[in-house]
Amino acid sequence: MAVDTEERPTATASKTDATAQQERRFQRYRIRTGMFAWMMHRLTGVGLVVYLIIHIWGLTALTDPETFNALIAKYHSPIYKVGEFALLVAVAYHAMNGLRIVLIDFLGWSPKQKKLFWTLGAVTAVIILVGGWPSLYALGEWAFGPGSMPTLFL
Amino acid sequence: MQLNIEIKRYNPDEDDEPHWESYEVPAEPLDSALSLLLHVKWHIDGTLSLRKSCAHGICGSDAMQINGENKLACSVLVQDLADGDGDTITFAPLPSAPVIKDLIIDQSRFFEKYRDVKPWLITDGPEPEREYEQSPEEHAMIEDATKCIMCGACTHACPSTWADPDYLGPAAMLKAYRYTFDSRDDGVEERLDVVDSPDGLWKCYTIFNCNESCPKDIDITRWLSALKRKAATSQASTTA
Repeated sequence: MAVDTEERPTATASKTDATAQQERRFQRYRIRTGMFAWMMHRLTGVGLVVYLIIHIWGLTALTDPETFNALIAKYHSPIYKVGEFALLVAVAYHAMNGLRIVLIDFLGWSPKQKKLFWTLGAVTAVIILVGGWPSLYALGEWAFGPGSMPTLFL
Repeated sequence: MQLNIEIKRYNPDEDDEPHWESYEVPAEPLDSALSLLLHVKWHIDGTLSLRKSCAHGICGSDAMQINGENKLACSVLVQDLADGDGDTITFAPLPSAPVIKDLIIDQSRFFEKYRDVKPWLITDGPEPEREYEQSPEEHAMIEDATKCIMCGACTHACPSTWADPDYLGPAAMLKAYRYTFDSRDDGVEERLDVVDSPDGLWKCYTIFNCNESCPKDIDITRWLSALKRKAATSQASTTA
């Protein structure tokens, strides 16, 4: 082999603070579309796992009708409307970026990855606005009083 | 124009940890980023250490993190890094690699991974009387991947490498692609054994930092995807 890297005393010196700092998991690096898409995918993915745990825990209320109704009544409070909207944002993004990754990995669409990012980003925005309108509407009514929200398509 | 050059310096004999130092350097828009470093070394501070050899984007010695992303210092121009007088350009060693001094990283791990994927022709048929032949169409499959100069910009730009130092990384796996998809090669299974592993292909999350940093504009992610499909389908055929 052209490169012999077996003996490198300076490089294999005991791990100093310097190498520890250099070899850390999180690096300062310029964020472009691909890395942004991945970071959001991780974030929404972890968020959805946390949501699923809470969601399944909620099913423990299914033991009798009264506790179940009491739980469902809570879902109409504003904080749950915020959660509902956040859930939609996470699901919509994770699904659309998941589709992007499938197209890249399965169909070899790597050369189109940036166009895919922006196109599916626009689709995600539409899904969030249309699907999230009922939550936003309910939140607006709560914040600014009944009748304060414009009735659009719903 | 006059530029402000900031370099992440580290001397293991004197410093406890790396620190940034600034230099005022005169520059022209069409100068290479490397020429700025050489100006510092030759006219301001001779103790600055960096690797460079051909200075023309062939040897791949001077990959480093410039303005926050990995580039080949000799292949990027000042006009693409700075707009005018007083602008700052930053230089740091490749992220996540052990630093020997200043901008020089220890490449041992990088080249170990390279050897791991068996980057040579593996054949099991009888040797041809003359050379192994390959059609232009067959070569087209691997042409892009053969442009790799092993500078390490991609592997050290990859968040999977930062998180897992044992991850093979894009450069090594691009080599695996280059030989696996070479029409003359018979080493598919040997090489897939290496890349179809927890430290291999499946830690590629299509983040595209490798593509963005490649000085040869190789569509690395595309070829790693092709290798993933190969690994997935050949595994299916062996377990069936």
